[in-house]
Amino acid sequence: MPIYQDNRELLQRMRWLQVVFILVFVGLFAKLWSLTVLDFERYQNLAERNRVRTIPELAPRGLIYDREGRVLVDNIYGFNLLLFRDEIQNIDETLSFLVDGLGLDRDTIQERLNNTGIYNIYRAIVLKENLTMEETAYLLARQSEHPELGILKQPRRIYRYSSLAAHVAGYVGEVSGKQLGQSEFKDNEAGDIVGQFGVERTYNKRLQGRDGRRRVLVNSRGRFLQELDHVEPIRGAELTLTIDLDLQAEAESQLGDGPGAVIAFDPHTGEILVMASRPSFDPNQFALRITQKEWDQLLENPDTPMQNRTLQNTSSPGSTFKIIMALAGLEKGIIDNETSVYCGGSVDLYGNRFHCWKSGGHGHITLREAIQHSCNVYFYLLGQKLGIQEIASFSRRLGLGSSVGIDLLGEALGLVPSEEWKREARGEPWYAGETISLAIGQGPLLVTPAQMARAVGIVATGKAPNLHLVKGESPNTPKQSLFPTPDFSPENLELIRDAMWSSVNEGGTGRAARVAGFEVAGKTGTAQTISFATRATLSDEEAEQFQPNAWFVGFAPREDPEIIVAVVVQRGGSGGSGAAPIAREILRVYYEKHKRVQPDGMELAFQVKKTQRL
Amino acid sequence: MWTRRFLSQFDFFLFLAVVILALIGALGIYNASAGDGNYSLFARHLLWVGLGVAVCLFITSIDYHFLTDHAFLLYGLTTLLLLGILVFGTEVNGSKSWFAIGPFSFQPSEITKVVLILVLARYLSEISSSYLQPRHLFTLGALTLCPMILITLQGDLGTALMYIPILFGVVMVAGLRIRVLTGILMATLCVAPLGWFFLKDYQKERILVTLDPGRDPQGIGYQSRQSQIAIGSGGLFGKGLGQGLQSQLGFVPEIHTDFIFAILAEEIGFVGSISILMLYLLVLMRLVRIAESARDRVGILLITGVTSFIFFHVAMNVSMTLGIMPPIGIPLPLLSYGGSSTITTFAALGLALNVHQRRFVCSPTSSADSSSPRSYLQASLFKHYNS
Repeated sequence: MPIYQDNRELLQRMRWLQVVFILVFVGLFAKLWSLTVLDFERYQNLAERNRVRTIPELAPRGLIYDREGRVLVDNIYGFNLLLFRDEIQNIDETLSFLVDGLGLDRDTIQERLNNTGIYNIYRAIVLKENLTMEETAYLLARQSEHPELGILKQPRRIYRYSSLAAHVAGYVGEVSGKQLGQSEFKDNEAGDIVGQFGVERTYNKRLQGRDGRRRVLVNSRGRFLQELDHVEPIRGAELTLTIDLDLQAEAESQLGDGPGAVIAFDPHTGEILVMASRPSFDPNQFALRITQKEWDQLLENPDTPMQNRTLQNTSSPGSTFKIIMALAGLEKGIIDNETSVYCGGSVDLYGNRFHCWKSGGHGHITLREAIQHSCNVYFYLLGQKLGIQEIASFSRRLGLGSSVGIDLLGEALGLVPSEEWKREARGEPWYAGETISLAIGQGPLLVTPAQMARAVGIVATGKAPNLHLVKGESPNTPKQSLFPTPDFSPENLELIRDAMWSSVNEGGTGRAARVAGFEVAGKTGTAQTISFATRATLSDEEAEQFQPNAWFVGFAPREDPEIIVAVVVQRGGSGGSGAAPIAREILRVYYEKHKRVQPDGMELAFQVKKTQRL
Repeated sequence: MWTRRFLSQFDFFLFLAVVILALIGALGIYNASAGDGNYSLFARHLLWVGLGVAVCLFITSIDYHFLTDHAFLLYGLTTLLLLGILVFGTEVNGSKSWFAIGPFSFQPSEITKVVLILVLARYLSEISSSYLQPRHLFTLGALTLCPMILITLQGDLGTALMYIPILFGVVMVAGLRIRVLTGILMATLCVAPLGWFFLKDYQKERILVTLDPGRDPQGIGYQSRQSQIAIGSGGLFGKGLGQGLQSQLGFVPEIHTDFIFAILAEEIGFVGSISILMLYLLVLMRLVRIAESARDRVGILLITGVTSFIFFHVAMNVSMTLGIMPPIGIPLPLLSYGGSSTITTFAALGLALNVHQRRFVCSPTSSADSSSPRSYLQASLFKHYNS
């Protein structure tokens, strides 16, 4: 027997095995290389996300004040329940915990979970706002078992006076997927709360501040280990409105449930003192994630509470349009202050009989009396002489059909009819008879209360500043007026102002707007919403639905006017009874706020000016 | 026995490489403990390594022929032990494969691996033909399957499965005709889908998750994924010792045991972990060298068993850690914490050192001077019958 066995075969095979070892190890090296070198960054990020939890600290939005420094929109802090979806271990268990422990509604949570398409997975989603102390305590006690849940103190908008000035302040809400694509919201990410309406929307960038965050180290169970860094949230800049809450409150209470609108502004600066639209809504509903049902209710209300009527509701101006007619007549030299017209209660033109509101007629009247008593016949005849093109031209020069320069979105521009418009829109020529209706503010002419107010402002001061809601500069209000400064004869303007004064102070149609001690001037309007012929076919109840809109536009005081006011009450009846008293109350409050009593006891209003902060 | 002659034959190279690996393992366990500041596992591991070295040297000092002679006796004893554990064992992590002795627990399914190596080498050494016959394969299969079934019954499928590569390695070296090999592979491929029905749900899930890691990022795939994140975030040079936050903060499971490679890779990076793998490769190469110098057939077969054991454990554990394979609970020899595994590995390496020690026939430490295994075997069997 050989001392050494012949084991060459075995050793040969063993060398083959060795080759296998080396090949397998090379494979392992390759995988190791791909993990640590090729995909290093990816895994580094994953590791970072694993152990570093970023807790957002939402920046409170800037406060919004009225012109006297009173807080209109504030923030309160509440505890919100957050779900970190990347931490979820077992969603059913989490759901049961929330449903059984906190009494949350399973469907509501499920709905929120399902509607997270646009969120980044690492973005915590809010499951419930405003936890009670009991709920907070319950959650904190079980935090360690549920690392996917978090409680966060977050600021929330609170509108101190609920619906007061709601259309001005607006509301906030989560940025929508569509908005994220717009440049306005390019710095936002899904889940951010942004301004959606009102100045909250227009001044969103200024108000929203910058969110902070805390980065903390957590272990695999989500337990807090240490804070890595902390970026303090920066509160948004504050905003001071031009609104005077005293006047605003008076206007809204006078309007009641309306529907109606009031706008008042300073004709020298364009600062809006009152912007009231009723019925209204409570922006606090939106701050707390409005439900679909509440939203539907707001939208289905026939009186459109979401609409800012001062800017978005267009209608016929009625007799308030006579101011513009008068100015056009004077400027074109068709009439002067002595031109006399006979009103016999009606006049026959182009084969139709056009009535004055006073069936007995006004007799021989001049322009001053025609405005004072709102005589239709005077203006029918003036309109006939002016013609449609001149009426349209002067309407535009007084700002109808164009923006008032407001720093809110969604302003309606209305409609100034003309021959071209009729041909293009209706495919028919303009009929001369239509000019006659237009002369008293009826027909296809559509204006917003804000536009009428600005037209009155031009008459009152000769100036046309942009109307705006925020003191100082604003992005939507360029320093230079958008609207060309009108060039009207001061004498003609003075004639109209005098006539408007007499309408209020000398027993005219606007007499209900008179405020003792305050030289109010104004013009009423009673805008028909249906024709007389149609009205005759309706029952009394139906006719009630089509009551005319009551208008009043005016300014005060007569010398060097400081406040322009326009009031519209839909279905309010005649302007003299439906709108003028509301204007009176607002002007009265204004007067009482600003009058100064001289040491010798004489009342001297408007010497010392208003804007003192409280 | 610790004479100068003995020491002069001792393979210090292999021994040193093994001890270095064990110390790297200790370092990994130390750093893995940094997260909770409890270093008792580290202390225990050192104790196990010490014990392992002792077992290793002890086995080296006994002539391996004595061990192969009594292989079947040892095999019978361990089978009894495995049966006993089914009745008296302690359940750990869902498997009833532990004996608790005081504060220490002990896993007989690990040490059985060494006994299996002995039995397989012993049986094959008696076959002188170039290729194994089907009846040989049948006996070998039965010898391997018996402990495997008992261990699977204990609920430790991972450990049981590691017996197959040991058998496979040994059989490959012992000689298998290509057509037999193909036949076996084909049969395995046909039977494997059937095996699916015998797997428990969590076992199926593990396999599915490895095929599709996105399947369940927080559940079972979580382990693989977290391990990959730890390794990947280590980068080329690692985050530095003690800086492996990913592992220390508990994101990687079983960090002291099955996933020890993850924390090391996270802390010492690609360069460091490649060095560890190179060290393993060096050990494997050295084992092949020892086989080449082995005196007899049984020695070569013993080394083959030990080499397969080390290779498949390392390859599968690292694959598991790198996310190539489902996590099935295989420790990394010498690095993972665990008494049974450490002692078993040292015992297996003791066998290899043993073969190296007695590579020359006239070695003074050789206890028998029989030149033929066959006659040696007969002599020893005779001895048995007499005793």
